[in-house]
Amino acid sequence: MANRRLLVKRLKAVRNIRKITRTMELIATSRFKKAMDRATEAAAYTKKISEIVGDLGRANLKFSHPLLEKHATEKKGILLILTSNRGLCGGYNAGVLRLALAHYRELKGKNVECSIEVSGKRGAKFLAFQKVPVAASYMGFDTPQFADVDQLATRFISQYIAGEIDRLDIAYTRFESSSRQTAVVESLLPLSSLGGVPAAAAKSSVDYEFLPSAQEILEEIVPAAFRAKLFKCFLDAAVSEQIARMVAMKGATENADEMAGSLKQQYNRARQAAITSELAEIIGGAAALG
Amino acid sequence: MSDTIATGRVSQVIGSTFDAEFPEGHLPEIYNALQIEDSTASTHVKVTGEVQQHLGGGRVRCVALGNTDGMVRGMKVVDTGRPLSVPVGKGTLGRVFNVLGDAIDGRGEVNHDERWPIHRHPPRLQDLSAKTELFETGIKVVDLLTPFVRGGKAGLFGGAGLGKTVILTELIARIASAHGGYSVFAGVGERTREGNDLWLEMQETKIGDTGRSVIEQTCMVFGQMNEPPGARLRVALSALTMAEWFRDATGADTLLFVDNIFRFSQAGSEVSALLGRMPSAVGYQPTLGTELGELQERITSTSKGAITSVQAVYVPADDPTDPAPATAFAHLDAFIYLERRIAEKGIYPAIDPLASSSRILDPQYVGQHHYDVARRVQQTLQRFRELQDIIAILGVDELSEDDKMVVHRARRIERFLSQPFLVAEVFTGKKGKITPIADTIRSFEEICDGKWDHLSEAAFMYVGAIEEAEEQYKRMQKEVGA
Repeated sequence: MANRRLLVKRLKAVRNIRKITRTMELIATSRFKKAMDRATEAAAYTKKISEIVGDLGRANLKFSHPLLEKHATEKKGILLILTSNRGLCGGYNAGVLRLALAHYRELKGKNVECSIEVSGKRGAKFLAFQKVPVAASYMGFDTPQFADVDQLATRFISQYIAGEIDRLDIAYTRFESSSRQTAVVESLLPLSSLGGVPAAAAKSSVDYEFLPSAQEILEEIVPAAFRAKLFKCFLDAAVSEQIARMVAMKGATENADEMAGSLKQQYNRARQAAITSELAEIIGGAAALG
Repeated sequence: MSDTIATGRVSQVIGSTFDAEFPEGHLPEIYNALQIEDSTASTHVKVTGEVQQHLGGGRVRCVALGNTDGMVRGMKVVDTGRPLSVPVGKGTLGRVFNVLGDAIDGRGEVNHDERWPIHRHPPRLQDLSAKTELFETGIKVVDLLTPFVRGGKAGLFGGAGLGKTVILTELIARIASAHGGYSVFAGVGERTREGNDLWLEMQETKIGDTGRSVIEQTCMVFGQMNEPPGARLRVALSALTMAEWFRDATGADTLLFVDNIFRFSQAGSEVSALLGRMPSAVGYQPTLGTELGELQERITSTSKGAITSVQAVYVPADDPTDPAPATAFAHLDAFIYLERRIAEKGIYPAIDPLASSSRILDPQYVGQHHYDVARRVQQTLQRFRELQDIIAILGVDELSEDDKMVVHRARRIERFLSQPFLVAEVFTGKKGKITPIADTIRSFEEICDGKWDHLSEAAFMYVGAIEEAEEQYKRMQKEVGA
């Protein structure tokens, strides 16, 4: 029966897919560990720097920095979307892009002229399909390097200070724990959360002595905080991507197993039915002749 | 053959076949009807048989068209000298018959001037009608993908419980009630209850606004499940003979509904072994193709008149490669395949849009526009089916954006192929919808163009034209809001 051959063919295809997804799962697991290590290392630094900035904020000093100031009118903005270069990671990209697009439309509704910058082929492709104009796209952030992110950050800072943009938003998948990642849109510029470190963390507040002066230190530390924050977003996205891929591939492997099982069962049944009917025909024929 | 009435004796009884012995020189011809009417101490036997084989030694082997219970060797057999014949003519309208042409509706004698033998030749080649035109049913999926041919044959293939009989009944309600000509219904080996339901329903359904009921233009012939194989084997021929009279004598467009042509093949297979033929593939009779061909070739349109026929074909074990449905397939103009997976989704009629086809789905007959839309619908659904394995394993997120759009539309098209039926109103609570073919084509075209992408999938279920889907969507939105 042609039906049986078809089943064998499908069964083979499903088994091949299973092999691939299983391998991808293992690769994602090992990549996840690496990305995770980098992220935790960076997290320590980011945490410390925001603590210092927070302490500064509470030091009750009169300070100002252009990155901290909200521009009087919001006309132009940049929306940076972090997606992956590769697929096979479940709803990872779809989640970020859906949120980003909703945010983009909202900004548009508020008459903010928003240019989109996207990292990752998947995002670029999606936006091209949706016919959303993309100002810039980056493909080199599979394992984000600080130097690369720093370049971006420097450009954003100078654009913000020069008044070319009035806000910077970033859409990415925040890594909360290894079982929980959420797609979010965060506003990075103006840096608003400088003083936003929870008061509880401030109980061990230290009295700093500023040398040469608070203002000068601020000049250094505010951009550094921004850079660290941006870098953290990239690292989070990278970790989340690997986790998403791991979960997706695990599910896919299981699905493939299930499908292969049911196909095999169907095949066996078809085979048995064919044997039975052939036997019945031979016996019937013999009986009719005899 | 001599003119004197030959009589013989029963010499052997095997199930629903029997042998009879005749004196030399008085052997009845093949297909002649033999009558047995005799009594034993306990029972009275009245059976008609049909000669199938000459065995030699004055013996013939016959298929009994009735029950052989109580038949014993030595009973007297009378050769009627001609094949079984059934009454034909306008007197048959509104009546219900059995295979022998006797009325079984308890309304007394049938007025008829003529009886025609049930074995007849198919129309000659030069008499066949060459006309090909579309026959509108108002069922979206049928009109779009498997358009019926006026004067052609359409088959409804499907496994058990997929709604073959419902679709057939629906077609009767749609076509016969709008149709000026005559209809003949053949109930072959299906449930007796269904036949009764149909009979009662036909008495209630009115033709257009003439105030006359459908039954007045219809005659029904039943040889249902309870009958012996001989009756089920010949009942289709009896019905066909009556339909042929309407075609040839009145020239009117005639409709012939057969439910279920598979039972005809099955009955043949039941008696085949008893007649001593060697079983062929899957245990069917070796003459499967011939038997069906003899029946199907007579269901045709001639230059005198047209017979449009709709036949239900049971597909054993959902396997369309089974010899019986596979043989029937070759004879049909339009081929509708009912699919269990679609019925399981709750989409009725459960017509498989990819496996079903029609000879006239061709720009030459239905027009370029209709053809293009039908092809686009099929392509979308085909692509969706190809993607199904990937979706099952990797999930819908892994598809490319184009494929996602295909899936999005295919799921809507799939649901839009459902339609509320006139005969199912009592079950679904929805009024049956007759959708004009122009609306059907326009609706599907707009879905393919992406004009209705914003409607939810549920909105496409059980509606007529696309505007009704929009209404349903708005209504659903309101209900959610409230």
